[in-house]
Amino acid sequence: MGTRYVGARIARNEDPALLRGRGLFVDDVRLPGMVHAAVLRSPHARARIHGVDTRRARAVPGVLAVYTHADLGRLGAPLPKLIPHPSLIHHKTQCPLASDAVRYVGEPVALVVAESRYLAEDACDLIEVAYEPLPAVASVEEAVRPGSPLVHEDIGTNVCARYTQQTGDVDDAFARAPHRFRERFVVDRGAACPMETRGVVASWDARTGLLEVWDSTQAPIPIRNGLAAMFGLLQHNVRVVAPDVGGGFGAKIMMFYPEEVLVPWAAMRLGRPVKWIEDRRESMVAMNQEREQIHDAEIAADGDGRILGVRTVFLYDSGAYIPYGLIVPIVASTTLPGPYRVPSYRCEFAAVFTNKTTVSPYRGAGRPHGVFVMERLLDRVARELGLDRAEVRRRNLIQPDQFPYDVGLIYQDNAPLRYDSGNYPLCLERALDLIDYAAWPARKQAARSEGRYVGCGVACYVEGTGIGPYEGCRITVEPSGKVVVATGVGTQGQGHMTSLAQIAADALGVTPRDVSVHTGDTALFNWGTGTFASRAATVAGNAVALAAQAVRERARRVAATLLEAPVEEIELAGGKASVRGVPARAVSLGELAVAANPLRFAMPADWDGPGLEAVRYFTPPQGAFSNGVHACIVEVDPETGMLSFHRYVVVHDCGRVINPTILEGQIHGGVAQGLGGAFWEKLAYDEQAQPLSTTFMDYLLPTAAEVPALEVAHVETPSPLNPLGIKGAGEAGVIPVAAAVAQAIEDALEPFGAHIAEAPLSPSRLRQLIAEGRRTP
Amino acid sequence: MKLDGTNTLAAPIETVWTTLNDPEALRRCTPGLQELKEVGPDTYQATLTIGIAAVKGTYSGTLRITDKQPPRHYRIALEGSGGAGFMKGEGSVDLEPQGNGTLLRWSGDVQVGGLIAGVGQRMLGGVGKMLIGQFFKCLEQRLGSGT
Repeated sequence: MGTRYVGARIARNEDPALLRGRGLFVDDVRLPGMVHAAVLRSPHARARIHGVDTRRARAVPGVLAVYTHADLGRLGAPLPKLIPHPSLIHHKTQCPLASDAVRYVGEPVALVVAESRYLAEDACDLIEVAYEPLPAVASVEEAVRPGSPLVHEDIGTNVCARYTQQTGDVDDAFARAPHRFRERFVVDRGAACPMETRGVVASWDARTGLLEVWDSTQAPIPIRNGLAAMFGLLQHNVRVVAPDVGGGFGAKIMMFYPEEVLVPWAAMRLGRPVKWIEDRRESMVAMNQEREQIHDAEIAADGDGRILGVRTVFLYDSGAYIPYGLIVPIVASTTLPGPYRVPSYRCEFAAVFTNKTTVSPYRGAGRPHGVFVMERLLDRVARELGLDRAEVRRRNLIQPDQFPYDVGLIYQDNAPLRYDSGNYPLCLERALDLIDYAAWPARKQAARSEGRYVGCGVACYVEGTGIGPYEGCRITVEPSGKVVVATGVGTQGQGHMTSLAQIAADALGVTPRDVSVHTGDTALFNWGTGTFASRAATVAGNAVALAAQAVRERARRVAATLLEAPVEEIELAGGKASVRGVPARAVSLGELAVAANPLRFAMPADWDGPGLEAVRYFTPPQGAFSNGVHACIVEVDPETGMLSFHRYVVVHDCGRVINPTILEGQIHGGVAQGLGGAFWEKLAYDEQAQPLSTTFMDYLLPTAAEVPALEVAHVETPSPLNPLGIKGAGEAGVIPVAAAVAQAIEDALEPFGAHIAEAPLSPSRLRQLIAEGRRTP
Repeated sequence: MKLDGTNTLAAPIETVWTTLNDPEALRRCTPGLQELKEVGPDTYQATLTIGIAAVKGTYSGTLRITDKQPPRHYRIALEGSGGAGFMKGEGSVDLEPQGNGTLLRWSGDVQVGGLIAGVGQRMLGGVGKMLIGQFFKCLEQRLGSGT
């Protein structure tokens, strides 16, 4: 065998183009005759619409069309309901354009198409909508209060689902437990804020009957399938391309956002290519959001701090509609027990409509909430029982010999929640070593004596990744000897052009530079679901491994014929096939590709078809479970409420590592978003559900100045669930940050007795909590 | 958002009352007012251009004066919308003699929505106070500097 690339820290194949500004993002798609769309959005959180007068807008020179709900016909129906669940009684989705009511600020009311975006936006200002504003539901707590206004009047309630999962006899455990502690935790809304906002370009060719759509989406194939169904076209005649995508983080996996239907429809009606690019202000109200949950949680423990039971009742804010079903609250419910032995557990939630932007998974997708609740409860146990925080965790961790470990719940993939592998104590000890936890009490004391408030936080988590149903891949060796990998999963910056190339390169004896990975174009691969739930590397990666293995076997058979040697003696390395022990008897992969596609004569039956090509699918039996520990040291300035991070350590286990550089990039980005969710980023709404933080002046993304240098270490416990032994890592970085930071802040502010039960915080909120603290130092 | 304040005007209460009910005075003194058309008794159609933070918007809507108790009190209701969103406000004006002049107390509750709420909310209190301040300053000038 030649060099092994899986596991190697190699530079990314995609970077030369991206760093030179030669990427192709949706806004880079410019077609002849292209016109531009703008969306008129509701300024009201809740209102009736008594009429829409578009006459003045239509009269503007350069305006091609102004569409309202009345123009849409059949297409005006509510958009598809994704992921139904038996407990989801009221699965409400929005119409592409509002008909007689609007339910959140930002809901689309009309679409204008004009020769330029400027004209389209000016024309939006001339549309007169007769709104009758109504009182809005601004919070989940308000939504469940008797007599609250109703987001959807026809269903007579704001609660669209109630769901309970339970394992063990939790009430009995609480009844017998010597210690019980109760807390209320609030996690507020945040936004994914990908660098590239959403965008769609659509072009319709009436001669060929081909609809082409460039869409900044995480799921081009489901979008293609849906558009074909809605427009009555053959799937074969709809091509959806997710070209370079500047971040998605879950917010771009909605099938469908209204604009994804409206823009192709307008292009077909007008016979002109249409472009719509979401501006940042729109994005802050019209791209799905996440995170709002209020937990009433309780833990029962014995005198040694061992967990006897946990129960939580929580409200989940779905926003105005619930297209994505119950995925987020189910993930929160099932992530909560984490790496700990929780002998009895009950989690019940109500999913609630409010007059705010729709919620769907955003990086973490419920996991940060579950971890925040569990870790804060363990901190409470440690404090009340006078135990060390790390020791409480150590005593409760699932041990390496307990895998596979059945948690006793049903996960988001509808399969039993069963941890496949891991070494949780090793990860914890390594993190404690790295942060020098043993020396912490002395260092804390030293800081105190200097009048400084420094705290340490340690939080553990388990991340469900790599769920099914399947992904696939077609690998073709071209006559040039270059290898083409085509797969259905798109890429939004995760480095698939490199990590998938590494997997193929190892099987075929070439370098990753010789492997050209094509993702996100439905014309190149027909089957797939999408890039979400930290699944692309695991599910598509193993499909690549299987296809590459098949191509390798065919290459060896063709080489055996050409080199007149037994198949068993053929080796692939350095871009060539050769006879073992006789390197001179060799033929290049390109020559094999040519030979495998003869123009005349009979083909050997054992070649099993023409060319060096194979298609394979990988269908995991269930998700694979990554895990990790974050530890940080934070200094708080009680005068200003500001934080400064002295250290931030991540120990992470996602099975076999394909490329450490890419993995660390994922973790760095995740921690940055986690810090946002812990301290900076808060989507504020006023009491009439008007969004108040729709610019980066008010919605504070952490910058290079706020994100500390990260120290990342890997533990590799292979997954037994797939041939490569890998697990996902996409969401890992974000998950325990709020929990670790809250613990560190509480530790730092111990002299004040400040109690942290919410995320995100902010400097002013922290000062308030210091003032509300039980003590003065 | 609730706002309130007081102003002392150097004119007798009757003069202040008359000025406050004079469409011409309102037209001159309301900052950003483009148009004020009397469409009924104590009911006006107004077009206003106001800039808050990065958002400058033109709003058209109606202004109503109700609950008139000359010369001491009236209520004012305002409703407008435009490309930058909508605003809706309600307030009261109370006058009482103070020496040779008049003490004017005002209070209001303003609700904004759409773009202006999302972008300009932080500035809204300050800008609102400033605009109302400009209004009364102008009124003072019209009433003459009697102090």
